[in-house]
Amino acid sequence: MSLIRAEGLTHVYPGGVPALDGLDLVVEKGRRLAILGPNGAGKTTLLLHLNGTLRPTGGRILVDGVPAAYDRAGLARWRRRVGLVLQDADDQLFAPSVFEDVSFGPMNLDLPEAEVRVRVADALAALGIADLADRPTHMLSFGQKKRAAIAGAVAMRPEVLLIDEPTAGLDARSAKRLLATLAELEAGGTTLVFTTHDVDMAFRFADEAALFNHGRMIAHGAAKTILADVGAMDRAGLDAVDVRDHSAQ
Amino acid sequence: MSTIDRVAHTNRWRSRSLSEKALLAFGLLVVTLAFPPWPTAAAVLVAAAAAAMVGARVPVRIWGLAMAAPVGFVVTGAATLMVSLGDGGPALAPNGLVDAAALTLRASAAASALLLLAFTTPASDLVAGLARARVPAEIVELALLIYRFLFVLADTFAAMHAAQEARLGHVDWRRRIRSSGLLAANLLPRALDRAHRMEAGLAARGWDGGPLRVMTPRRPVSAAGLAAVVATLAALVGLGVATR
Repeated sequence: MSLIRAEGLTHVYPGGVPALDGLDLVVEKGRRLAILGPNGAGKTTLLLHLNGTLRPTGGRILVDGVPAAYDRAGLARWRRRVGLVLQDADDQLFAPSVFEDVSFGPMNLDLPEAEVRVRVADALAALGIADLADRPTHMLSFGQKKRAAIAGAVAMRPEVLLIDEPTAGLDARSAKRLLATLAELEAGGTTLVFTTHDVDMAFRFADEAALFNHGRMIAHGAAKTILADVGAMDRAGLDAVDVRDHSAQ
Repeated sequence: MSTIDRVAHTNRWRSRSLSEKALLAFGLLVVTLAFPPWPTAAAVLVAAAAAAMVGARVPVRIWGLAMAAPVGFVVTGAATLMVSLGDGGPALAPNGLVDAAALTLRASAAASALLLLAFTTPASDLVAGLARARVPAEIVELALLIYRFLFVLADTFAAMHAAQEARLGHVDWRRRIRSSGLLAANLLPRALDRAHRMEAGLAARGWDGGPLRVMTPRRPVSAAGLAAVVATLAALVGLGVATR
């Protein structure tokens, strides 16, 4: 069942630079969708559209088959269901301590205090950073900041979690741990949509892959098929996965 | 700044209630100002130092360095009290030494009372305290964001400075001035850019432009701690009254 659908989505930044050019995409419930493409392909712009941060220059977004509303109430309903984690955690963490920052989303949902505490505790536990609750956000490591930023979105218990480059900048072990955490979230019913440059990681972790280049969709389908398709990957400016490497592991 | 912040987050009184610490610090300040400097201000200096170094385990060296700045400033200012300008030119002022010593003692004691609060209470707790004290939300939010951005900007500044140094941007004073100017000019657009991205991040978590609401952890007031604070202040008031 499609949760979010982009139809003919076009986005032109001021100055006339087109980031998305008539793009169609369907986000299915309960999937792990990887969005891949070279730098400047429009991946981050797409994520910002999928939770209403940006408004399309052309085309439209449908949530549960209904055209998305960009008024205050509509956006609030939308963002309640679709969480977003930015690539640079420092862009997201604004409160002095981890606990306070993670409580921000649940507080905006107007939940009672006890429920906010439960949500914060659950999100911190899910991301494995319960021991960092009182830690000032400026005293966290890069990986800890990333987890705290994801916890801030997870605490709102969204149906869809959009994550921009979840493993960028993380060492291999931290990346593996974070992916395991994301897998647990997905097992709990959260649909994951993430951008990445790491083709091998997407091959191992994602159910579906969407390839972009110049703001256009090149291919979308099962990750294991798409990411090994030399022709499609080449058109997206990417190197295809060598399946032998993965089957050998 | 970062040393005080680090100690404030790691000292033994970190988890004590803000009310206890604020009562002690501002109590010491009031006692210092309300009574003659000798011996009350001297006793306040000792009490604040003991609370910081024995109670909260602030390292002696860090406390000493932090006190050196305001004390040095006060001593420099107080030294002028020792001199008077008359018809015959500059001369030692009558009672000048006593006045200078009294001023130094009182100002140093006042500074130590405030440093005690700064070293034992992270700025975030102070900001949360302001919110509870009904300070307007706009001011509290500004303080909160400035506190957070200070460290983000400091990191950006350090990275840009290192990048300039690596490319010989600071090898002599001419290049240093030029590089510093470029750095300052680039920090502002970067800060604005970051502010735009942060706005998107906040909106993604349901912020609609209203107050930035977060749940601040509350630290319960300990009866024993409060009693100790009250007893300390009462003793100092007693000393002040007895020696007035």
